[in-house]
Amino acid sequence: MPKTYEEINERIRARKAVVITAEEMVDLVAEKGAAAAAREIDVVTTATFGPMCSSSALLNVGHTKPRMKIQKAWLNRVPASCGLAAVDVMVGATSLPEDDLLNKVHPGSFPYGGGHVIQDLVSGKEVEFVAEGYGTDCYPRRRIEAALSLKTVSSATLLNPRNCYQNYNVAVNMHSDLPQYTYLGILHPGMANANFCSAGQLSPLLKDPYYRTIGIGTRIFLGGGTGYVFYQGTQHNPDAERGDNGVPVEGAGTLAVVGDLRGMSRDFLRGVSIRGYGVSLAVGIGVAVPILDEGLAASTGVGEKDLFAPVYDYSKEYQSMGRPLCRVSYAELRSGSIAVGGRKVRTASLSSYAKAREIAGILKEEISSGRFLVTRPSAPLPGSRAACGS
Amino acid sequence: MIQKSVIFHFPPELYDKPVISGLIRNCEVEVNILEAYISPQQAGHMFAILQGEEGRIDDALRYMEGMGVSMVLPVRNLVWDETKCVHCGACVGQCRPRAFRMESSRVVFDSARCVACNLCIPSCSYGAIESISSHLKRKGEI
Repeated sequence: MPKTYEEINERIRARKAVVITAEEMVDLVAEKGAAAAAREIDVVTTATFGPMCSSSALLNVGHTKPRMKIQKAWLNRVPASCGLAAVDVMVGATSLPEDDLLNKVHPGSFPYGGGHVIQDLVSGKEVEFVAEGYGTDCYPRRRIEAALSLKTVSSATLLNPRNCYQNYNVAVNMHSDLPQYTYLGILHPGMANANFCSAGQLSPLLKDPYYRTIGIGTRIFLGGGTGYVFYQGTQHNPDAERGDNGVPVEGAGTLAVVGDLRGMSRDFLRGVSIRGYGVSLAVGIGVAVPILDEGLAASTGVGEKDLFAPVYDYSKEYQSMGRPLCRVSYAELRSGSIAVGGRKVRTASLSSYAKAREIAGILKEEISSGRFLVTRPSAPLPGSRAACGS
Repeated sequence: MIQKSVIFHFPPELYDKPVISGLIRNCEVEVNILEAYISPQQAGHMFAILQGEEGRIDDALRYMEGMGVSMVLPVRNLVWDETKCVHCGACVGQCRPRAFRMESSRVVFDSARCVACNLCIPSCSYGAIESISSHLKRKGEI
């Protein structure tokens, strides 16, 4: 018997909802089957924590006296984008100081950038703010240097055009004799190691593969605070190849998410320095999937042996958009080694399963205690197969 | 046979003296040099692991003191700051001796297994791993 969002929210308000994490749901569905799990469970919490480059902080820094129309701005010497209104500045996670050595001495170390500015702000630190304007009759000021923090700005919004990739590549270095310094970490020659980046069986879009409950307007856990899905993320591709269970076997859907930076935490927003590549921001996201029917019980209950990722040679095929070497399951990836072309290759994750587990646990507690309701999307994402009761 | 990690500090006047060859010949220890900074007429330092009979290691350290070399005996070869670690496991894929490994999806560090190859340091995007010599220098201890 399908349930509705309203029925589930009634149970959450009454603190009678049965909420478990996606990890627990895998075990339950394996033990009792999807039909029984659908009857028993109201909400499954999913989560992920990893570097997500398409992230930014949108700050309205407030008007100065006299007023100023900002044309260029820097936070701790990291350039911000200023092509918005007079005092709206946006610092992107991958922005780097103009005097960074970049890869001039390869591999660059990229010690500080936009992701670290966001981490500093959310940690309550002051950052050095410098801005320049060209002066207009209504905005005559041309320069300001000031200390800026989340207490001084008018608003601070985490605005991430692409987070939460539904699935992601596994990277190896098959052809180069030199280490490859990639956004998927350091890849040693001769396929000495393989890196992957997904929370696997906890990952939100792997558990709702057809975006039946995750859509525009979905309330989420974002960076330790509250956020919302505001659109499909850039590069959202629901037409990606899928396995027999309907789950994409390559990068597919993405989410654009937004939230008030002021309610967030350094524990779930961390600047990262990726050797030889650049900087980024690691973002923690949690999404509650209401178990409206058996289909959602089944998809949230898919375990890591049935979730697959493509292995790419980042020294060759990936660069030229070629085909993957093979596909491997997340169960294999998490076991510590995979087989590629008959060879055993050591694996490591860049996504923190421990953090994802922590976030799924926090969200479970929030829902169980009646503080977090599930959201009916106001519009579906492209490729959505809208759920019963939605 | 025992192993001992040592950070030697060489005063400027020793920069052109063959100190380590004397250590090997006189004290019959094996010296695995993991890191060394030596510049003409400047103080230098070396991070090495000495291996040999226990008495020989003691002799070696006395010999170095006698040569005017000061030293720090770190109890670990690497510093892992768990407060910065997010337990992703990127370091685990780099660590051949399995000093870093995953247990229940969390990173654990067994310093006794660490050979101070330092391959894990650039793999950590969160700055949670530091070489012992960088750590001691930052603390002003060498």
